[in-house]
Amino acid sequence: MKLKSTKYTGRLLLLLTLSIASALLLVIFWEDESHGYAEVSDQLIELKELDAQLDRDVLRVTSFLLSHYDSLVSTSLRLREMEKIMRVPGQRKYETLEGSIDEYWLAMTEKLEVLERIKFKAALVRNGIHYLPVAAESVKRIDLTVYRQVLELLNELYVYDLFYTDSQLAEINARLEQLKMTRFADSASQEVLEKMIFHIRANLDELSELGELKRRYLAIASHERFDQLHQQHEKHRFEETRQRQILIVTLSVVVFFLLLGLWFLVRSLHMAHQAVNQSWMRLHDAVENLSEAFALFDADNKLVLFNRRYAQFYPWLKDTLRAGVALETLKSLSGNHVHYLEVKGRQLQADLPEGRYLEKTEQDAWYLASNNLTSEGGLVCVRSDITESKRSESELRKLSRALEQSPASVVITSTDGTMEYVNPKFEEVSGYSAEEAIGQNPRILKSGDKSQQEYREMWETLLAGKEWRGTFHNKRKQGDIYWEAASISPLRDENGKITHFIAVKEDVTAQKRAEDQLRMNATVFDTTSEGIIVTDADNLIKTVNPAFSRITGYEAEEVIGRSPQLLSSGRHTDAFYEQLWSSVMQNGYWSGEIWNRRKDGSVFPEWLSIAAIKSDEGVLKEYVAVFSDITKHKQDEEKIRYQANFDALTGLPNRTLLSDRLAQSILSANRENWKLGLLFVDLDQFKVVNDTFGHVVGDELLQQVAERIRECVREVDTVARFGGDEFVILLQDISDPEVAVAISTKIIEAVTDPFRLYERDIFIGASIGITVYPEDAGTADALLRNADMAMYQAKEHGRNTYQFFTPSMQRQTIERQQLEQDLRLAISRNELEVYYQPVVKAETGRVSSLEALLRWNHPKKGQISPEIFIPIAEDSGLIGEIGKWVILHACEQLSTWRHFGHEQLTMAVNLSSRQREMGFDANFVQEVLSKTGLSADSLTLEITESLLMRDTEETVDWLGSLKTLGVNLSVDDFGTGYSSLSYLKRFPVDVLKIDRSFVNDLPDDPESVSLVNTIIAMAKSLGLGLVAEGVETQEQVDFLRAAECDLLQGFHYGRPMTVAALTDWLDSDRRASVNS
Amino acid sequence: MFNYLIILIIYLLSANVQGAEVRNEPIKPLPLHQPDLNLKLVDLGDRLFHDPRLSQDNSISCASCHVLSSGGTDRLPVSVGVGGAKGGIKAPTVYNSSFNFVQFWDGRVDTLEDQAAGPVHNPLEMNSNWTEVIGKLQNDQEIVVSFRSLFDDGITPENIVAAIAEFEKSLVTANSRFDRWLLGDDSALTDFELIGYRLFKSYGCISCHQGANVGGNLYAYMGAMGDYFKDRKSVVTTADFGRFNVTGKEDDKHFFKVPSLRLAAINSPYFHDASVQTLSEAVLVMGRYQLGREISASDVDAIVAFISSLLGEHHRLKP
Repeated sequence: MKLKSTKYTGRLLLLLTLSIASALLLVIFWEDESHGYAEVSDQLIELKELDAQLDRDVLRVTSFLLSHYDSLVSTSLRLREMEKIMRVPGQRKYETLEGSIDEYWLAMTEKLEVLERIKFKAALVRNGIHYLPVAAESVKRIDLTVYRQVLELLNELYVYDLFYTDSQLAEINARLEQLKMTRFADSASQEVLEKMIFHIRANLDELSELGELKRRYLAIASHERFDQLHQQHEKHRFEETRQRQILIVTLSVVVFFLLLGLWFLVRSLHMAHQAVNQSWMRLHDAVENLSEAFALFDADNKLVLFNRRYAQFYPWLKDTLRAGVALETLKSLSGNHVHYLEVKGRQLQADLPEGRYLEKTEQDAWYLASNNLTSEGGLVCVRSDITESKRSESELRKLSRALEQSPASVVITSTDGTMEYVNPKFEEVSGYSAEEAIGQNPRILKSGDKSQQEYREMWETLLAGKEWRGTFHNKRKQGDIYWEAASISPLRDENGKITHFIAVKEDVTAQKRAEDQLRMNATVFDTTSEGIIVTDADNLIKTVNPAFSRITGYEAEEVIGRSPQLLSSGRHTDAFYEQLWSSVMQNGYWSGEIWNRRKDGSVFPEWLSIAAIKSDEGVLKEYVAVFSDITKHKQDEEKIRYQANFDALTGLPNRTLLSDRLAQSILSANRENWKLGLLFVDLDQFKVVNDTFGHVVGDELLQQVAERIRECVREVDTVARFGGDEFVILLQDISDPEVAVAISTKIIEAVTDPFRLYERDIFIGASIGITVYPEDAGTADALLRNADMAMYQAKEHGRNTYQFFTPSMQRQTIERQQLEQDLRLAISRNELEVYYQPVVKAETGRVSSLEALLRWNHPKKGQISPEIFIPIAEDSGLIGEIGKWVILHACEQLSTWRHFGHEQLTMAVNLSSRQREMGFDANFVQEVLSKTGLSADSLTLEITESLLMRDTEETVDWLGSLKTLGVNLSVDDFGTGYSSLSYLKRFPVDVLKIDRSFVNDLPDDPESVSLVNTIIAMAKSLGLGLVAEGVETQEQVDFLRAAECDLLQGFHYGRPMTVAALTDWLDSDRRASVNS
Repeated sequence: MFNYLIILIIYLLSANVQGAEVRNEPIKPLPLHQPDLNLKLVDLGDRLFHDPRLSQDNSISCASCHVLSSGGTDRLPVSVGVGGAKGGIKAPTVYNSSFNFVQFWDGRVDTLEDQAAGPVHNPLEMNSNWTEVIGKLQNDQEIVVSFRSLFDDGITPENIVAAIAEFEKSLVTANSRFDRWLLGDDSALTDFELIGYRLFKSYGCISCHQGANVGGNLYAYMGAMGDYFKDRKSVVTTADFGRFNVTGKEDDKHFFKVPSLRLAAINSPYFHDASVQTLSEAVLVMGRYQLGREISASDVDAIVAFISSLLGEHHRLKP
């Protein structure tokens, strides 16, 4: 039955699909093409109209009736636009018309061309006709006879304009010849006449040309071409229509037969349906008479069938139950009415789970439920009422639950001691599960420390029918020992005979443990080295430990019952204690440093922690204070502080302390409105002393100098050793800069006095720079910097003198700051530019690589030398951003040049050590390389020799990580530093660049010659590449070539150039290399 | 109260002007409104028109040679392109160019879209190519977003020229005094300008300079009534061949698109070869070589006065 219906449905669907498909095809054939056809037709109509419009306007132009050409222009523009649309190759709608379209547009194009000529020609002719009478007027003024002749001629001409015949033309030409014969005595008149004749002649010529153009225009067979196009279009259309009609008829027949098939199918389906109905009724009857509740849901979970019992079982569904109701609706209605349980009684999460389970309604009815899937995916639900059996079961369970949930372990044994029942608590405590324990003797729990005697006594008591109480020291299954208090009593049957023993036992291990813990705590309390005081809620001492007595000197009995205030040193304010206690009250604890007094009256620092102890109910019970003596710790701390702030050699405040004091002084100077003086003292000749007599003498000299300087200043002033042989003196509250001068003079005098050291007189001097706050600077740093600058100025002015900081020094600072400010904006303002200088192969003189060199085009100051702005960039950290910009720019440019055929070109970019700190790392270089698509070996990073010399772990790692990428490293300005072979070996360097200063003196200076030769030999031995910088003359080239230096760079080959200039240079280089 | 009165009068006057028929003259007014323009596209075109990234070295934009504030040209004999390269011909104005029947002096393309691509590729002008230009524009997030919002396919050569062309279509100098006169405002022109207009017609200038753009709708032979190039006395250049350079037909030699006179008053120098510096001289030369007539100085003044009245308004134009 079911199978049959599926088969029917399949056929039905197939037929239906076929019918719809055919109908769709029909519609498509009906529609298809007609759209394209209409479009082409519309276009053809428009073309026809435009052509006619054009003809009309051309006629108007040649008859001088059109006053402006805008309408003509719009017609011809539209035509040209249509030509573009129609002549796009490969358009389906034109494929049958292609030849005709081309022919048509050939004609139209010619027409439009002639039209353009006509437009201009007509303008000329019109002007002539308009002008000739005016010109004739000028002849009239000269000679009336000639005027009349001219008039007649004009008359003929106008007649010719209107009806041009050859005879008319001949007549006009004859008259014109005659007129040409006329001669006037004065040249002015003659000129008027000739001008007249020129215009008539011109008009005549243009008229005939216009006529010729008009004939040409009319001769163009655009209309014939159009007809041809139109006919072809129509013919094609006719054929298409016929074919489609045939198709439509065929399809219509197919559709008809398909529909017929559909009708037959629907009819047989109907009959089958009736048969199904009958068997359905039978099934319904059977179900209705079942004693169980029954419900059937179809695959869509819609109720199909249910019986009366089902409605009785679920009274709240009474109004809802009917065929077609969704299972979901019933579920949602059941909500709190039913609870679902597993057959074993566990709560179920899912409602209506599959299989067997229990349902408990709110009326306490119990149903055994079973839900099963039918073969078509529906659901059969059967329920039988088991309320009665459930009730008796629950009675029993109540009793057993008491045992099960008892907080004490319960064991029931037979009279011979075999365990017959154990409760879950027993399992939990002993570690044995019920299955393991039942059938065993309780002996399994024995730890072995109860004597045979004790066991015997227990059994005797029990067998006598009495209760036994005692403690067991048992062993759990896991092996650890626990304490149990047990009560064992016999169970008797109704005849009074002992059938079982029941043991009720309690685990007392925790109690035992707590006792142990207490004992341990007491030991700690007694033996710790930290003093402990316990006070009660009223802060009276309850107990103290031995350490307390050791530290304070008080015995326990002396302090118990008293307040801890007896220890108070008197060093702290009341507010301090208030704060302490409020912290204890609010947070429950306080810890910190506090000074207390011992019994012997001495005061000592201690680290104290106080905690408030509260009962479980939150009531304050007591306080515990723990403290340790930190006298030694304090002393250490003081020593460290001194070392951090004072110079070990001279005992003077060091730089750190000076900075603190200066900052504080600035604050107080602001508050009190007074001035500060800052003297920056640098010893002259100190280095010489140090170098000549050694450090020991130098150190002692510094100590004496410090002492002398200290004597020159007041108590409130600070003398600090700033480093090396530099001292800084901070003068508080100076009324006048003259005070600073006076002190400076004193210091210079004191220092210039000879020092007597190791039986020698030693002479040194001092140069001092002075700044005054707030006049010269507003911050500590700036004050120091300015004083330093002034000190240098003093040194330059011949030592042993002082120098105030001046605005011109200020200007230099500001200028530098301004430059830094400008530099900050230079990138975004596009002021930075990369120049490129070629490096050539010594052998061929052809380009090998490029070096990227940064230029700054300052908007006001012009080009600024990198020597000026690079240090600024490094100091300010801007080098980070700028460096990244340069490498990205250079790599992009290299990529462009490579793209334009310079595939072998490579690029060198300079690197500063500061860039490492500013985040220039291998990751970034990798990013640039992948962004520009360059391989790593096309990039060389140039580092200075000085960077190499700063041989730090970080530098080595940094260069190593860059090198790992595969880029080349080269050393710039090689030879100016003092790098040794060992440096070069430590670093992954590939190329050395010989500094220009050596190249410059080649080949005449023997010292340079030998140096360059040495460098070259060294590079060869290390397998390094070589570039000579600053090559300017042919002689240098010859020398270096002979010395086998591979690569050369310098003005001789090319200066650093802009991109455009270098592009030209590269092109000429390529031409040269092709030619050679 | 007085203000209201003035507003009312202005309203009545303008209503009067708008309601009137256009005078039947060979010159037609430029449209006051262009409702069909896509304003977002115009805005994008505006930005591109001023964007130097369209040139090879980012130095030159369309606006470099077509300076909108001063008449849509650079007022130079020949324009200066990338790297100082000099062009061969005087740059025509970009104003009202949508009313020209073809673009360039020699009419080598029909549409503004085709025109816009020309200078980008010309080595003497922007010296670039679409790949390069699009590459640069793709890096500008703002431009990319603008294109995406207007076109599904983002930045393409077609879309760039479409935007520029749309912008150029918005460059119309309407509401000139002459146009107002055409629309019936008798007080818009002075008597002297009206005399100039009459002379302009009677001398025959009007035969070629007619329509809404006062020219720009036909080709004319330079020197119809006298040998202009012989009298000019300087070497005949390729640019002098005009339309011949496009068609290769001998008949087309020295034919040029008749330029619009709408902004002639402010766009010196004159003619394709920039051979004349003043408008008066240009009128004289035109009379001599195109009409075969010597126009008297007083007539020239009147014609120049008339031509000046053709200058309309655009918010970018500040002559």
